[in-house]
Amino acid sequence: MQKQVPSWLIYSLLTIILWGIWGATSKAVANDINAYMNQVLFTIGLIPLLFLVIRSPRLAGGKNRRRGIFYAFVTGILGGTGNILFFTSLTMGGRAAVVVPMTSLSPLATVILAFLVLREKISASQIVGLGLAFVAIYLLSL
Amino acid sequence: MHFPLWLLFALITLLFWGITGVTQKLSTNAISTELSFLWFGLAFIPIALAILLIVPLDWHLNARVFWLAVIGGALNGLGAMTSFKALESGGKASIVIPLCYLYPLVTIFLALVFLHEKVTRVEVLGIILALVAAVLLSREAPPEQSTDR
Repeated sequence: MQKQVPSWLIYSLLTIILWGIWGATSKAVANDINAYMNQVLFTIGLIPLLFLVIRSPRLAGGKNRRRGIFYAFVTGILGGTGNILFFTSLTMGGRAAVVVPMTSLSPLATVILAFLVLREKISASQIVGLGLAFVAIYLLSL
Repeated sequence: MHFPLWLLFALITLLFWGITGVTQKLSTNAISTELSFLWFGLAFIPIALAILLIVPLDWHLNARVFWLAVIGGALNGLGAMTSFKALESGGKASIVIPLCYLYPLVTIFLALVFLHEKVTRVEVLGIILALVAAVLLSREAPPEQSTDR
């Protein structure tokens, strides 16, 4: 294994590429379809992936299945609704090069909510990030 | 100040996806990432069904548009799966998650080269700050409770 690129790094880079292309493909069709049609097609692309996890032995168990499944479902509803809003922004003239960096600041809301709701601590780097995020949003909205 | 609609929608998106950061955490604290991803994905079905029931859609679209949108959904889901894989294969969350938040770099590159988007100098500064901010924000304090991995 020595001198090899670690697999976590390869998976991380793959994530960057997959999500990065998704941002661009969204904009590429934003002049042709509305956000609702996009959401239906997006779902057609997403659902086959669920068959990749459906046989996983890790589907069994968990500390609190009802709670975990409930929040996963809520995550999907909010994530999907967010995707409709994201695509709407692109159809309304938002450029991918501006909208995607802006929406990728979603940890801004996560950090604040996790602090308020889960009483999680905010790290020093997150405090710097909060400040930079607000400046970034301001500059991107000029 | 002029407040365009795209900006409003982008900011509400930020809020919605930000909330999912919390709900996803609450979910994966209780169940595996696989089961969590399964139910996350299943939640997209009622949204799509609701759209099909309520919104009249024009299905006269060309194959390029159809497949790009379908592939978009697949890429997004695959990205979520590879990010879980990165965490499972020994990557520290404090490195993997900030690293994954660099994905706008790829979008920006593709948008400038293939979609011929233009950005002003102020926007370039905003984009750089946004990338740095996203990386810093997703760097959590070291967890005090043990993870389930």
